[in-house]
Amino acid sequence: MSQRVFITGFGIITSIGNNTEENFQSLVHGRCGFGELTILETIHRNTLPCCEIKLSDQELHDLAGVNTGRGYTRTSLLGLIAVQEALKSAGLSKSELREAGLLSATTTGGIREFEKNIYNILDLAKDGDFTQFTDTANPGEHCERIADYAGIKKYIATVSTACSSSANSIMQGAQLIKNNLLDIAIVGGSEALSKFTISGFNALMIIDSEHCRPFDNTRKGLNLGEGAAYLVLESEASATRRKKVPIAELKGYGNANDAFHQTASSPEGRGALHAMQQALQTSNISSSQIDYINAHGTATENNDLSEGNGIQQLFGSKVPFFSSTKPYTGHTLAAAGSIEAVFCVMALQHQMIWPNRNFVHQMPELSITPVKHFKENVKLRHVLSNSFGFGGNTSSLLLSSV
Amino acid sequence: MEGMHCYINGIGIISPQKTFDNDEFLNEVTIYDQNVLTCITPDFKKYVNPVQLRRLSRMLRIGMTAAKISLQDAHIEVPDGIITATGYGFLDETEKFLRELLEREEKQLTPTYFMQGTYNALAGLVALSVKCTGYNNTYVSKGFAFENALHDAMLHLKENKFSTFLVGTYDEAASVQYVAGMREHHYKEGRIINTDLYKHRTPGSIMGEGSAFFSLSGSPAASTWCAIQDVRIVYTPESEEKLSDDVTSFLNVNHVNQDDIDICISGLSGDATRDIMLENLERAMLKDTPHVYFKHLCGEYTTAISFGLWLGASILKKQVIPEAVKVTPGHYPSHVNTILLVNQFMNRSYSMILLKRFNQ
Repeated sequence: MSQRVFITGFGIITSIGNNTEENFQSLVHGRCGFGELTILETIHRNTLPCCEIKLSDQELHDLAGVNTGRGYTRTSLLGLIAVQEALKSAGLSKSELREAGLLSATTTGGIREFEKNIYNILDLAKDGDFTQFTDTANPGEHCERIADYAGIKKYIATVSTACSSSANSIMQGAQLIKNNLLDIAIVGGSEALSKFTISGFNALMIIDSEHCRPFDNTRKGLNLGEGAAYLVLESEASATRRKKVPIAELKGYGNANDAFHQTASSPEGRGALHAMQQALQTSNISSSQIDYINAHGTATENNDLSEGNGIQQLFGSKVPFFSSTKPYTGHTLAAAGSIEAVFCVMALQHQMIWPNRNFVHQMPELSITPVKHFKENVKLRHVLSNSFGFGGNTSSLLLSSV
Repeated sequence: MEGMHCYINGIGIISPQKTFDNDEFLNEVTIYDQNVLTCITPDFKKYVNPVQLRRLSRMLRIGMTAAKISLQDAHIEVPDGIITATGYGFLDETEKFLRELLEREEKQLTPTYFMQGTYNALAGLVALSVKCTGYNNTYVSKGFAFENALHDAMLHLKENKFSTFLVGTYDEAASVQYVAGMREHHYKEGRIINTDLYKHRTPGSIMGEGSAFFSLSGSPAASTWCAIQDVRIVYTPESEEKLSDDVTSFLNVNHVNQDDIDICISGLSGDATRDIMLENLERAMLKDTPHVYFKHLCGEYTTAISFGLWLGASILKKQVIPEAVKVTPGHYPSHVNTILLVNQFMNRSYSMILLKRFNQ
């Protein structure tokens, strides 16, 4: 009964590119999206640089091919752009889309539009253009928008587990396929920068005003980013029927809870270890077969210590290549899991490893060192992608070449 | 989702009715005349550590307590997984943080409201408090969050039928949502008495809130309330025919005839404009089936279907149909074995849950 789950398409937009090819070129040439904010209006524009997509909302509407004034939030637009690319690459017909599912993830949905219009929305005497954003404090709103645009009918779900959200939407899409409830699931996440998120993370004092340095001993926090990525997951039977050659396989996944602290991970990396172990178990792959780990690596003091310890415990003296790609894209919160899953698929396709930029100083607590330089012609067969979040959520995906 | 049934082995529910005591079953009905129904809460200290309690927002207290009651009822200390579902999350906390950031122009903010406004805060806190290191997920899919959570849990229970998953909802009657919702006629213009909800054939419903946690397992226990045989969602059906086809196929897949359904629990919201399709479906397909309604008791909210599930589980376990939910004149069965719960949210999200009596 258990179906293999293939990846037959994907799409991505981040601060390092509006599509797959642009993201690939940036990864290869070491271009990062970090810089001062020029689109989002906030007092932190110059003081808390982020990895912002340098397209105005109008330009995103144009790129997505939709009209303004219809209530598309930036999160919906980013999602729509990535989904459009994913659907194109998977070559799905209208009738196939009707029978497909959409599982999307976000941490704040359309809060960017809501924060801008809240006073107007709450003043019932007022009317105007802002009313298109009345319901944008709802996190599931973006998913319905994208489903309605694409004509996806059979199943929709929105997941929100903080920074591990889209790893979980990917996982649940795979579960639905494995159990024959769906043939095709479009899975991923979307996240736009907002004052709300910047202020929240700033209040938690985990934002670095300089470019983030994952796994480096001088790391001081994360850089926020925005973006979206979606993968088309498809059962083996459906891919065969459609004569679609799979790009990669989602072989396994793990989801656990650290149960240590509301906003911190256990220093020993219990949850991280547990999630990675489960991903190995569900895919029947041994730890020695893992060729690369795309780490969560946010560059907060807590995450990198916890994750590093989890990796060390699992792999012992034989730790595979690992790196965090957060310096390229920033921490895109709910979208991070799917963006990094796409980076892993690209790594498998091209047999390349994207380096952990900005790493210089070894952490004394760890004996492991991330990949510092871009690597080509590496033999990659099985890779792990980690995503962790507040609330103790830890998830890990195992992707394999086919 | 054939062959995916599971058992409800424990429930904890805090709602605008006095439902937190599992020994009672709508013995008294609380009347509201404000169009906003808010939770009747127990003494939280009986369930949650007082030190922790002080740090929690109102809704986190409600959710934590509902979760604890459910686990106690199921005689489970640590579940194997925790899944929560909400449409709008902790909107009061989100609003507080948003107002602070706007009023203080993004300066000198404390993170408490931000942290407590995170959608997965409850699932994380419950995991932390019972030390559950297993599966943890949160769905925020507007009108389908709870159904998604049930599917997720049922898929896990299918793999390991001896495990227990704690699946719960929370949604609060936040003032922001009430005002914003008035713009889209989600709520009625004039004030009504909640128990008269279905007498007013006007646009809009009444606002509700609540938190309901279900301890689900693939195997029954001494505490079993009923079995959930299947759950299905129908997103924006383009016609009544399409919806009715989906209901028919749902029943067929589960080998249930319309005659087998002893009671239909209907999630009609009292909103004359948004109820039309579900009303017509019930009139056409289920006209001979006795109906009960519940949204006059709990109000309308994104995860209100969880109140309906509690109602169905209670009817099956206690074999009692409270007067407060009877809406069709005439005969109600004295034995209830099969219940069909149908729901609609905003005339976009339709769902069905099939429940079966479990005989100890």
